[in-house]
Parts: sequence; structure tokens; C-alpha cells
Amino acid sequence: MADKEKLGNFTPENAPEYEDVLQCMRCGFCLPTCPTFALTGRERSSPRGRVSLARAVAEGKLEFTEAVKEEAFFCLDCRACTTACPSGVRAGEVMEICRSQAHQFFPLKHVSKSFREFVLQKMLPNPDLLETSMLPARLYQKLGIQWLVRHSQLLKLGPEWVDKAERMIPELHPPLRPQLADVIPAEGEQRGRVAFFLGCIMTLMYPEVSRQTVRVLTHQGFEVVTPKEQKCCGAPHLTEGDRDTTKLIAQHNLDLFMALDVDAIVTDCAGCGAALKEYEELLEEAGEHDKLATFRAKIKDVSEFLAEQGLRTEGLKPVKKIVTYHEPCHLCHAQGISKQPRELIKAIPGIVYREMEEASWCCGSAATFSLKYTTESQQILNRKLENIRATGAELLVTANPGCHLQLAWGLKQAGMIQEVVHITELLGIATG
Amino acid sequence: MISETAIQILIDKLGKENIITAAEDLLVLGYDSTPGLHATPDLVVYPTDSEQVQSVMQVARDHKVSITPRGSGTGLSGGSIPVDGGIVICLNKMDKILEIDEENLTATCQAGVVTLDLFNAVAAKGLFYPPDPGSQKISTLGGNVMEDAGGLRGLKYGVTRDYVMALKCVLPDGSLLSTGGKSVKDVAGYAFKDLLIGSEGTLAIITEITVKLIPPPQDKRTFLAYFDDISIAGAAVSKIIAAKIIPSTMEIMDKATINCVEDYVKIGLPREMAALLLIEVDGHPAMVTEEAEGVERILREVGAAEVQVAKDAEEAASLAAARRTALSALARVSPTTLLEDATVPRSMLAETFTLIERLTKKYALTVGTFGHAGDGNLHPTVLCDERDADEMKRAHAFYDELYEQVLAWGGTVSGEHGIGIAKKEYLARQIGPGGVAVMKRIKQAFDPEGILNPGKIFADGQE
Repeated sequence: MADKEKLGNFTPENAPEYEDVLQCMRCGFCLPTCPTFALTGRERSSPRGRVSLARAVAEGKLEFTEAVKEEAFFCLDCRACTTACPSGVRAGEVMEICRSQAHQFFPLKHVSKSFREFVLQKMLPNPDLLETSMLPARLYQKLGIQWLVRHSQLLKLGPEWVDKAERMIPELHPPLRPQLADVIPAEGEQRGRVAFFLGCIMTLMYPEVSRQTVRVLTHQGFEVVTPKEQKCCGAPHLTEGDRDTTKLIAQHNLDLFMALDVDAIVTDCAGCGAALKEYEELLEEAGEHDKLATFRAKIKDVSEFLAEQGLRTEGLKPVKKIVTYHEPCHLCHAQGISKQPRELIKAIPGIVYREMEEASWCCGSAATFSLKYTTESQQILNRKLENIRATGAELLVTANPGCHLQLAWGLKQAGMIQEVVHITELLGIATG
Repeated sequence: MISETAIQILIDKLGKENIITAAEDLLVLGYDSTPGLHATPDLVVYPTDSEQVQSVMQVARDHKVSITPRGSGTGLSGGSIPVDGGIVICLNKMDKILEIDEENLTATCQAGVVTLDLFNAVAAKGLFYPPDPGSQKISTLGGNVMEDAGGLRGLKYGVTRDYVMALKCVLPDGSLLSTGGKSVKDVAGYAFKDLLIGSEGTLAIITEITVKLIPPPQDKRTFLAYFDDISIAGAAVSKIIAAKIIPSTMEIMDKATINCVEDYVKIGLPREMAALLLIEVDGHPAMVTEEAEGVERILREVGAAEVQVAKDAEEAASLAAARRTALSALARVSPTTLLEDATVPRSMLAETFTLIERLTKKYALTVGTFGHAGDGNLHPTVLCDERDADEMKRAHAFYDELYEQVLAWGGTVSGEHGIGIAKKEYLARQIGPGGVAVMKRIKQAFDPEGILNPGKIFADGQE
């Protein structure tokens, strides 16, 4: 790494590849798909503008300024532009790399820096520590969230975030990870053996959703293996620009899961799935190409997996509901999984499915975006809520905890009736 | 540089939020989709109405600053690039559709309205605005008019020019000019409107546009035909037209383009084929049936390797959408994509393909060709790397020789992208020194100080 040639005004550590920014031919096809461009009308807040800024830094025409940093973090990393880009430019990934650069150019002040490092490098990679640390949050109704408030410097959050964060957190149950047996046998005729990748947010905030995921998988005939030593997928680190820790975690998970004899590695968190599928690029330098390619091929979002295997519908109970589906960015844009969840929903007897307008438009959650840019996030959310309202649906199905939090909170705020469920919860209801 | 006084006046007139001076913003408002071209403006303004456009023009005149109009920056000849710096005037905030007149079949909108937004708004009232440039999802009407944008439906429905009925614009002297109207017939004096269309932002800044609408076709049929040899595809185009069938769309892609598009859209286009034609016939159902039979028969007669009919509107739309991505999809192959816009009389289509193939070999280049076959409007695209000086030299030699022959056949150096910066050298070859001199006199009459969009259309010292 250190002997890498410096690219323009980027630092040599974790810099973008020049080809990746040169690839943009500025056709503007990304502009109408970008939520932050739709919001601001500002070219520099569009994928084309952001890539151009990165290119200017790479060509030494611009220093890595505060504005470049601001755009790197203002990007939702929703990847809608990646889907829209015919030339294969990945503006979201370029911005992730720029976030890492931003930390090198604008180091955090000592206290916030050590706290951020503690969370990203010690706490998140260590599930036991993480679960203990959530105890105060679990008791937040009693204790308040002063603990979090005191550390609001952590992610450089805006002043309104505390209030919002408090109201967003769902009723918490004990983390799922310690409760899951290492191996849970399949029911009925066994169709295969899968490993379950249990995301941090899922085990901590939505343990009951992931419990349904495991239950649905076993009901569908799959033996489920959940290795307890698994760590965070690394997505929060990438999002916050800590690429070095991401690589350490990724290597650990890669080795752990590749040692298992399983047909697939299934996750019910779109964010985790996207991050796991990107290990191949992330760990490229390590040179284990075959192993990485096999790993990538095994990673399956639960919808992707069940649609591929074919849903066993015999015995499913009718669910008499009008349902619509919000596509998580990290499922449809980052992983290209769009048809599969709809197929599964429609396969459940009794369901009336109604497609919403702009189903693949970001909900404004986007990791810590919703806490950092509360106003902008709310505007993006409002657009989504209007589209949900227009369907007249009773249930809103999604497949990612970030979207789940944001949408459930938004619907409640707006006094709307829709209940948010993860797709495996819906399948769980049908499973009985 | 622009004086503080000038900036203050602009802030007073347009509001602080509509005046952009931050370096990072300026840096990203001095490009369009033309490769290799970039300039940085000194200031960017976002007016919200005609009066504000007049104010900006006044400031530019008083302070002798050049002013360059810009929409979404999707142009392909560099028309919106501020070569002298100065002020870039972005019309994107003037994005209101003002009226859809169902009695006169017209729509009136501000210059910053996005092409597809207008299409959708009139479609909701059962009407049709046909011009559909490749970038319709983001291109603005103002930009379409200034470049006289074409699109996939040009063959049957014509181009932007054929739909503009009236324009409101601000002249370089700061005055507001209205030209044309809702009357179908209008021969009162010089046709300023027609002069302004395609003037690439060098004569006036358009603020409001009235376009003609038509009833949409009731039915359509979409075909995909594949060919082992691209010249057979060329022959198919000529034979269909000779059979007095005018399809609404007749698009061609060569092998390189098919593969790049397939890499992106993944809809199962056959990678081994030399060419494909996307053909659409539309109109009254009875006519569509008749024409569709004719098209199918001719395709089989000329020896198309395979002919497919789109099974429904959705599949037809996805095929057209795939075609729209051709240029950008080609861009994934190499860092630099040089796109040209050679247009020949339709009867010369097959010869043009043969010529492109020969020149590709001669100059050892990678070229993907696609375009509006029915219009004789091809986009031979050189896939190269701007860091390779020798390759760039060969690419330019390729175009030089191509254009020489295109002009000899009575074609044009630009079918729909405009001259801008990129093709200044070629214009004189096509229209001769006399033609250039007249054009320059017209420019002089509108803009004696030369403040409006300088450096476009005419090469320095060109007479």
C-alpha cells in the first residue's frame, strides 16, 4: 500500500483508481435517479458532479476540500446511479473511498476520534461487547438515552438526531445471536444446508425478524448453521470511511464461512448482503481470487435464495392483506435483486399486491444519513410516504433494517396506518 | 473576472441562493457530455423567470462578460461549455409547464422543463410530443430547441424543429423577443423562430417554448431483426422505405454496440450477430397490421438471420430503452468515447457502413456504430484512451476521412448534435466560406459585442 503511486491530490492510502473516475462520460443518465440531486438541483450533489470532483482531485485540479468531504458524506450511497449508469461507473463506491480520504485530510479531534475508533474498531467487530453495550439502549425507556447523548460527537451528528434516534428505536428484545443454536435442522424433506449471516442491527434491533428468517428457512427445508464467531459485515466501517478495519473484519468472516460445508450463505439484511458481496473487490490485494469468487457466489439475500430454490407453497396459510413493497437500495441497486421479493410476496395465498410508484427510490435512511442530515432525510422520506399512501396498502414490506427503522418511524409520525414488515416476517405469518 | 459590483447587482436581482461562486460548484458546471472538453466559469446564475434572464444579460453587457446558457449539460458538441469563463446561466429552475392547450393542441413551458416530463404531462391528457433525444430523461426543452435535438422517432415524426411553434427569448441587447405563435400558418416577416432553433445558444437565450402536440398512435408493433452482415441491414432499411413504409423508428446497432448494451441491460441480445435493427411501425391498427406484414416480409427477403416481434408494449419499451443506452454503454469499454454524428442520404447507408469498416481497419481503432438508420444518421463511436496521443491522432484522422466522403455523398457533418466546439473545423468544409460568412453576419446582427456563447460554431479567423 505505502509504495503505491500518489494519485493527484489524493493521499496514497485508500485512494480511488483513476480509471474509475475517468469512466464517467458525463451523459447525465444518473441525474434523474439521484435523491440528493432531486432535492438540491445542485450538480455537485449529483453522481456526475461527485465523480467530477473526485476526478478533479485525481488530476490535481482541486485540493481535497471541505466541500469534497461534504459531498462524500451527503451521498446516500444508495447506488441508484450505479443501476442507471450504462458506462459502469460506481459513484457510490468512489464516494465511500472519498470518505476514507476525508478522515485522512480532516482528522477528528482527539476525543471523538478515539470514541469513533472504539466503536468501529473494537465494539462493532466484537459481537459480545456490542451486545453488552446495547444493554443501556434496551433499557432506554427507563434510563433515557443520556449515554448516547454524551457521545453524540461519535458520528458528527446534527443537533436534532438524538430526539429522532430515540423515537426511531423499536421496542428492543434480547439479542438473537446468543439464542440461536449452532445448527438448526431442516423440517420436512431437506433441500440443503445454509449458513446464516446474522447482521448486527438484525440481532440487536430486529431479533424477532431474524428469528422468522431462520424459521422460514428451516420450514422451507434448509438446515441452518449460525457460526457464533461471525463479526459485523463491515458496512458501517465502509460507510464511515474506515477501510482498514473493514478489511480485517472481511478477512475474518471470509475464513470463517469458507471453512463451513454449506450450499449458501444467507442473510436477511440487504446492507450486509451488499457488503459481503463486495469482499471480492475489497480483499482483491490479498490475492485469494478463487476463494473470494466462491464466497461471493455463495452469498445470498434470503429473497434471492428462496426465489432461486423455489418457494414451497404447500401448507402456506392465506394472508388477507393489501401489500406493497419498498425496495432497499442495497438490495435492488447494490445487488440487483428486484424481481425476487415481489415473486415471493405474490406467491403467498390471499395477498393483494400493489406496486408503488418509485419503489426503488431511497427512503432517506442510508446508514447514519438520516441522523446527520435530518431535514434532507425527512424530505426524501416524505416523497416515499406519499407513494406508499397512494397504494392504499395495509402492509409495507421491505428487507433491510435501515429502511425498516426509517419507514416505521416515518409512517408513525405521519399518522399512517401501514405496518412495516420484513419479507421473512410476512413469510413467517404465512408459515403459521 | 467578474467585478464585485456586477456580482452584487446579480445578487440583488436574483437572490443570493441563485448565484453560485464556490469553486467546487463552478468546476462541475463547465462540462457537458462531449469528451475532453471542460472550462470553468467565473460565476453561475440560476434565474427563475424571463425578467431575471434579462437582468443577467444586462449585467453581462454592461460589464463586458461573456454569458453561456446551460440546461442539464447533456450536449454532445460542447455547446454549453464556457470557453471564455464568464457567466454560465443555468435554466434548470425555470421548469414549469405553463399550459397544455387541448383546443389548439399545443403545450407551453419554460426552457428548463425536462423533455420526458413534458412528454408524460401531455400523455396524461391523451396527447403526444414525439421528439425523444437519447437523454430525454434529463435533457431540457431549451437545450433541445437550441441544438434542434433529434431522437429515435425522427424518421416518421421529425425532430424538435418540426414541433416548435413559438419561442420567447432574451436577445443579447437585453430585450425580450416573442416569435411565432399558436397559429398553424404564420408568414409574417422573417422566420426568427426557425433561425433560433438549432442556433446553439449563440443568438439568444430561450426562456419559453410553445410546441405542437399530436394525437398519439393508437397501435404499434416492434421488431428486432438480426443480421450476419451489417450491409444487409443497410439494404433492409432502403428496401422498407422503397416499399413506401415509413416506420416510426428504425435503429441500428453493430456488433460492438450490441455487446456493450447487452453487458448493461442483460436482455439476451445475441452477441455473435453483426448487426441488429430495431423497427417500430405505429398508427391506426389496420395500417399497423399491414405495414408490420410488409416489414416482416422484406426482412425475410433480404436475408435477416432472425426476426422477432416484441410480445407486448412492455417488451417493446425495454428494447427502445436498451437502444437509448447505446452510447453510454459503449463508454464502459474504454476511458474515452469519441462520438460522431455523420448523416448521409438514406440510400448511401450500406456504403457508409462499408466505409466505416474500412477506416476502422486502416487506422487500427475500436469503433462501435449505432444510430438512426432510417434517418441515415449514424454515430460511429471511437473507443479510445485520451492519454494515448497516437491513438487520438488516428481517431481524428478516421473522422477526417469519413467526413470527406460523407460530404461528397451530400451528407452532413452533424445530424443532430450541433457544431459547438467539437466540429467547428468541419462546418466550413460543408457550407463553404460563403456560408460561414453569412452565418457570421447573422451572429453579428444579433450579438455585435460577441458576449453570447462565444467560441462556438465558427473557428477563429474562419471566413
